[in-house]
Amino acid sequence: MWTTVFVSGITLGSFYTLVALGFALIFGVTHTFNLAHGELIVLAGYVAYWLWKTYGVSFLFTFPAAVLVALTVCLLLQRLFSRLKEPLELNSIVMSFGVAILLQNGMLFFFSGDYRLIRVPTFNQGLHFKTLYLSYGQLTLLALSLVVIGLLYLLMRHTYLGKALRATIQDREAAALAGINVSGMGLLAFAIGAILIGLAGPLYGSVHYLYPAAGLQATLLAITITIFSGVGRIRGLILGGWILGFAESGAVVLLGASWRELVGAVMLITLLALRPQGILEREK
Amino acid sequence: MQTKGTTRQQAIQQQIAWAAPTLGLVLLLLLPAFARYNDYVLQVFTHALLLATLALAWNILGVSGSISLGHAAFFGAGAYTSALLSLDLGISPWATIPLGGVLAAGIAAIMGLFCLRLRGAYFALATLAFVEIPKVITDNWDGLTRGSLGLVGLPGLPSLQLGSYHFDLSASLVGSYYFVLAYGLVLLGLVTFVFRSNLGLALQAIREEEVAAEAVGIQVQRYRLLSLLLSAFFSGITGACYGHLIRYLEPGLVYGLHFSAIPMIFAICGGRFTILGPALAALVLYPVDQFIFHPLLPAGHEFLYGAVIILAILFMPSGVWGQVRKAHFVSIKTGSVE
Amino acid sequence: MLNKGDSVVLCKRLWTIVGLLTIILCCTNTATLAATIKIGEINPLSGRLAKQGVEIHQGVAVAVAEVNEAGGLDGQQVEIISRDDQSQPDVAISRAEELCGWKKVLALTGGYVDSLVGPISEVAKKYQIPYVASASLQKELTQRDNPYFFRVSTLQGFVEPLCSMLAEQVHPQRLAILHAATPGSTEFARDLKRCLQSRNSPVMLMEKFRPGTPDFTPLIGKLANMNIEVIISGGFFADHLLLLRQLKENRVSPKAYIGPFGIAYQSFIGEMSDDAEYLYSTCAWNPGITNPGTEAASKDFVERFRSIFHREPNTTNMHGYTSTRAVLAAMQNVLQQEKPLTGPNIRQSLAELDLDLPMERVAFDKHGDPRHYQHLVVQIQKGKFEVVYPPERSTASAIYPMPRWGQRK
Repeated sequence: MWTTVFVSGITLGSFYTLVALGFALIFGVTHTFNLAHGELIVLAGYVAYWLWKTYGVSFLFTFPAAVLVALTVCLLLQRLFSRLKEPLELNSIVMSFGVAILLQNGMLFFFSGDYRLIRVPTFNQGLHFKTLYLSYGQLTLLALSLVVIGLLYLLMRHTYLGKALRATIQDREAAALAGINVSGMGLLAFAIGAILIGLAGPLYGSVHYLYPAAGLQATLLAITITIFSGVGRIRGLILGGWILGFAESGAVVLLGASWRELVGAVMLITLLALRPQGILEREK
Repeated sequence: MQTKGTTRQQAIQQQIAWAAPTLGLVLLLLLPAFARYNDYVLQVFTHALLLATLALAWNILGVSGSISLGHAAFFGAGAYTSALLSLDLGISPWATIPLGGVLAAGIAAIMGLFCLRLRGAYFALATLAFVEIPKVITDNWDGLTRGSLGLVGLPGLPSLQLGSYHFDLSASLVGSYYFVLAYGLVLLGLVTFVFRSNLGLALQAIREEEVAAEAVGIQVQRYRLLSLLLSAFFSGITGACYGHLIRYLEPGLVYGLHFSAIPMIFAICGGRFTILGPALAALVLYPVDQFIFHPLLPAGHEFLYGAVIILAILFMPSGVWGQVRKAHFVSIKTGSVE
Repeated sequence: MLNKGDSVVLCKRLWTIVGLLTIILCCTNTATLAATIKIGEINPLSGRLAKQGVEIHQGVAVAVAEVNEAGGLDGQQVEIISRDDQSQPDVAISRAEELCGWKKVLALTGGYVDSLVGPISEVAKKYQIPYVASASLQKELTQRDNPYFFRVSTLQGFVEPLCSMLAEQVHPQRLAILHAATPGSTEFARDLKRCLQSRNSPVMLMEKFRPGTPDFTPLIGKLANMNIEVIISGGFFADHLLLLRQLKENRVSPKAYIGPFGIAYQSFIGEMSDDAEYLYSTCAWNPGITNPGTEAASKDFVERFRSIFHREPNTTNMHGYTSTRAVLAAMQNVLQQEKPLTGPNIRQSLAELDLDLPMERVAFDKHGDPRHYQHLVVQIQKGKFEVVYPPERSTASAIYPMPRWGQRK
């Protein structure tokens, strides 16, 4: 049983990291909390579902469309976020909460409140490693999450753009002095975040299920992992994702499935209570 | 602000500031006479009034500048406490409703322990996560709360005997309506008193400049805790009333995001730093949603709330009523109206 | 900062709002007068339960169309006044108040899920208007001395046949009950557990999950570890989809998988295709399974339904139809006895009702619960629902244990 918990923890955890990445990047660069993050993922999932269900588009080819939609919505969102006044963090929470309600109701209107699931036939088969069993679904989730995380890591470490982004995350004023276009970096962060959201969406629709209110859970996950890792640390994000994945799986086995929701919430409150000054302060 | 033009304008604003609430109150008092043949209208306004009291209670904390996304925790705790005490022990709702408020305040004390050290966005996030705790506990403590089964058949509000007048509060919709209206007016009076007391002034000072407030000797944490407890207490009472009016509870219903979001939305749209704003927003927005948007868009009508809050935060951060009342809200920091 | 113009605009807007509200109040006050028999129907036509609510509504519509085609009740046409409770209890109350207090309906029907039916039943009692609920399960609802509340379904109709089949035929040693955190599902799990234990069938594990749980894998690990033979899942449509898929992914093959809610629908087979094979469910009625002796009525219903909605009816539609037929029959009886159509008279007639309908023989006990609401246990075999219990009505023998995932094509 503990191998199942292990496998589930790792695959879920990696996926959680993918879910959190876009959120963490946008927050790090622009200092805005995007509470509509989960709704955007669910929206991207619905786009994939709609293409798959009505046009029979194969699962793999739904990703570009999902990314495109996420990109459009995120760039519109960025326009809204850039008009916010101080206090930025608090106002961004309030506004993105409004965006989340808007998106939820939009999805309710277009896709109804029914639970939807993208069925990928190959996900049902899998590989055996002695007692360990990995389905292709879990493998895809694991591989895709890790590859995307790896690519982002390379981008942040080894390209000029990535370095500029990191500089902005670490110190906005200094970055601006060094000639980095800080507001341009904000736009870039939203664009990369949108791509990550667009990739996470179809996966979300195929391993979890889609319903308009599903986004809140994903948002809470993203917040918890971001706060756990602090800003600008991709490795920290992976660790955070895995710990949360393990903790949830472990809670289901030890306490029962009905206690699962508590894990993320308690983890978030504990983290916040331990670091009351917020996660940005530490960087200074 | 001492020029002639602005005094004239101030006078107009002052007129609106008096005329609108008075007119509103008269309309509310007379509503049952208009709506005698349409219980739906009355029901919508009863619910709008209940949400107005929740928004008023939320704003006791809101005035200090903190935004809570977790008031469903207090609302649900109040509803469950009062429901269980009256259902299982047969205590009269008149006694259990305040007890619901007390338990909600108790939960607020625990929340305060973890969250009050946090500021701004982090406080909001912590409250958002905190709701899960009472919700999951209520849902799983089958022996006490009947868990996911929910509570069916709660006693309604008992009738009231005042001299020769007999007020039937649960059987007649008009009775429930006036009961909620009376509670709303009492709460409004209390909130006015709180805002004008030392506590209210201290909270406004904290909002404007926390460090300065601390420097002049305001015990910031104590005042914030006090405002959280008061806010939770009245949210709990509102939740308890809701339970006895609906006569049915389910953890997902009363601890849902809905009851966290709604007071925040009303307070911010109406005006967080005003006394009346949140209540006015509730009394306008909820009926508009129910009478106009729901028939047009049965699925997804609540987009209205999303839209108004985005508009408010971008273009009118002090809220609609905040704009009207601006002449009276002299910023402590700058000593003048901006 | 506001200038003078703005305040004037604001003032104007305020008056516009007041004006609008007055118009709304006046408009909604104009009542319609018609010499028809009015029946109220409240269903979740929007919100999270919209799908089921609309299905019940369709069943109600068929029953009313049927009686009106046949000339109405004593020559008077029946008018159904439908209201949407938006899947919210507070709205359900206001709609019930509107129908009873203002529209003066003679009886109420419809309703899906106890959280919406319960509040309506309270209003019905207050106005002394009988209410026959279409889909309501919880026991507590009928234990409250409400003489005006009746319903055509009950949880016992699910629990008893399942419990008997398991205890008499399957004898599982390792059985797990999973259920969703909703009132109906929770009570189902509890009652089934109690029933199984009273018949010496042990329940190894009982777990609750939230509807919409994104990942069942840890739970499945637990099931596999305990070597569970029979899984009973009180979840709904989507929960079955995900749970079954993850069972298959993880190569966990129980000997039987039983889902009382959400499986016995053609749409479920459509969604799951081959993976739906061998699953058990329960079903009160479907176009192929009907109360013996009512085949003609059942066929009639199916045809009328098809001609109105252009698709096959399902069991939820049937619940709406049955409750409405009960109301109409009771009214007919009142009229035949040449008594006035009043709430108390219709109530009395409902209490004495005994009517054979495709879904059940409708007769109520003193609490308003149906006496003869019994589900049949069905198993999906070759894409069709075959009755496997009780023996006297079975159309095929049960395939138990079901083949392991690996052994299927």
